[in-house]
Amino acid sequence: MSANEFLQHCKQGNFNHVVGLYRTNSTKETGPFDKELILSLPDLLKYIGLNVAGYDGMDISACTERSIRISNTPNVVANATADVVMFLLLGAMRHAMIPLWKEEAPLGHDPHGKTLGISGMGAIGQALAHRARAFGLRIIYHNRSRLPNDKEGSATYVTFDKLLRSSDILSLNLPATPNTRHTISQPQFKVMKDGVVVINTARGSLIDEAALVDALNSGKVLSAGLDVYEDEPRVHPGLISNGRVMLLPHIGTTTIETKREMELLALRNLEHALDQGELLTPIREQS
Amino acid sequence: MASAALLIGAITHARKEWEDLSSFLTLKEFPSGTREDFIQNCKNGDYDDVVAIYRSNASTKFTGPFNAEMLSVLPSSLKYICHNGAGYDNVDVDACTQKGIAVSSTPVAVNNATADVGIFLMIGALRQAYVPLTSIREGQWLGKSTLGRDPQGKVLGILGMGGIGREMANRAKAFGMNIQYHNRSRLSPELEGDSTYVSFDELLATSDVLSLNLALNESTRHIIGEKEFGKMKDGIVIVNTARGALINEKALVAAVDSGKVLSAGLDVYENEPVVESGLINNPRVMLLPHIGTMTYETQKDMELLVLNNLRSAVEKGKMITLVPEQKSAFQGMNGTS
Repeated sequence: MSANEFLQHCKQGNFNHVVGLYRTNSTKETGPFDKELILSLPDLLKYIGLNVAGYDGMDISACTERSIRISNTPNVVANATADVVMFLLLGAMRHAMIPLWKEEAPLGHDPHGKTLGISGMGAIGQALAHRARAFGLRIIYHNRSRLPNDKEGSATYVTFDKLLRSSDILSLNLPATPNTRHTISQPQFKVMKDGVVVINTARGSLIDEAALVDALNSGKVLSAGLDVYEDEPRVHPGLISNGRVMLLPHIGTTTIETKREMELLALRNLEHALDQGELLTPIREQS
Repeated sequence: MASAALLIGAITHARKEWEDLSSFLTLKEFPSGTREDFIQNCKNGDYDDVVAIYRSNASTKFTGPFNAEMLSVLPSSLKYICHNGAGYDNVDVDACTQKGIAVSSTPVAVNNATADVGIFLMIGALRQAYVPLTSIREGQWLGKSTLGRDPQGKVLGILGMGGIGREMANRAKAFGMNIQYHNRSRLSPELEGDSTYVSFDELLATSDVLSLNLALNESTRHIIGEKEFGKMKDGIVIVNTARGALINEKALVAAVDSGKVLSAGLDVYENEPVVESGLINNPRVMLLPHIGTMTYETQKDMELLVLNNLRSAVEKGKMITLVPEQKSAFQGMNGTS
């Protein structure tokens, strides 16, 4: 179905009996859930069960005004996404993309003994910290608020500025909001350590991609591991042509097990909401 | 005449520490060349004062293996071969023992880096990541990418639970895997941790992922072949960062083609640098060109450990990391004290 068709169906009242909506990352089929589309959704609609962890691009306040409650799938994506962070981190530190026999490939670096900075210490950040410790990495993190002791473990809470200055590897694990757009741009690269490794599995808009390309070209950033991009599926040509960078096409959660868990959680949210009037994992803005 | 040390190949990161040995040893070098050149130098008596050899990781490329033929021409003054590498299958240790030559390798220093590559290859193989890694670079975004598998909750079988195997286990536990292992002998409880010791057959039959972390020798050559693949679970994932000849590579290609093996992550090959075309042409397989220990930090640690062995051997008659096969033959020579 095309975006326009979906809007027409809504306006013609074809979905008027719908109270719960299950939505994958379906922007291709429906267009973005912006104000126009949300105002055209059936009057009876009360719940949207999203089968995604990140829901940027969706007009949440328009939904809230219409009393539509939304759930996402935060925790079930944590392990798979953290796995991809570690894969990209190891690959970027080893320059694993350079397809040469070892005599010509540059030496890599060991994670052991280095400092991993995690920006955004939610479920994914915590799953990453758990894995990274087993590789001998020291963990520092920044988050809107400091974690309680039992969740923080041996990770050290630091300011955002300290995170930028002290990390040998920086991983972004925070949601994309208007406030976090271009969290990392030229001024932030400037204060980082020379030879920092940058990993992004969260959302492309968190990093100013053109500034990242400049920082890679200047050598400020030694290498990067990216699963997300500012303008997907378009990827900056300066990243594609750089053999030191590990690039994946947004496969963070694309495993059989995790996709199934995400589908089940989205469905359980709808089921619970219709039975008991309450979502299981409501989005942060509405909880 | 002072005793001499001979460097075969290059030292890159600890050059100064090598040169420091000149305070009590004459330093000789064979930086590159052919086996014929090297044997001729030996026969000419160029190395007749050499008591210790630093054998770089790349030196086999120049001299070929240290087999019986080579040992027969090495100087009779030679007492120590300090090899840079955790694996030393290109040194005939039994022949060295018979000639009274002690051999050291570089275990421990390689553990972290090798286990890191093992985990990288394991995740890459579970995710069949080579497909998306190449499709995005070809401008096709996901291309023919399919859904991968999570390590969480799966059974990792480790064959060979030495230092590298244990580091592999530590890391894999953090990914939510259950660890079982087979080893010549069961580990002590403190080394074993919460890993489960199983027989070789049980390891084959019950592992979701199998990682090879054992040394190559005559009894482990082709330890995984057609018969062993037949005992494994359908859809198993194979990781090999140890030595290529542990696996019959043609049998692996057949098992990957039949779907018995879902995917594989390989850093080592039977006939390096030649790689079976059935592996090269299979995008489900993650291949690396034997880069297990190729980091600045680990290369430097390995070079320093070789030099520390060499210094300790010449000064005190003790190898720090004598190869285990020689521990009974060279009692008293092992250890730092």
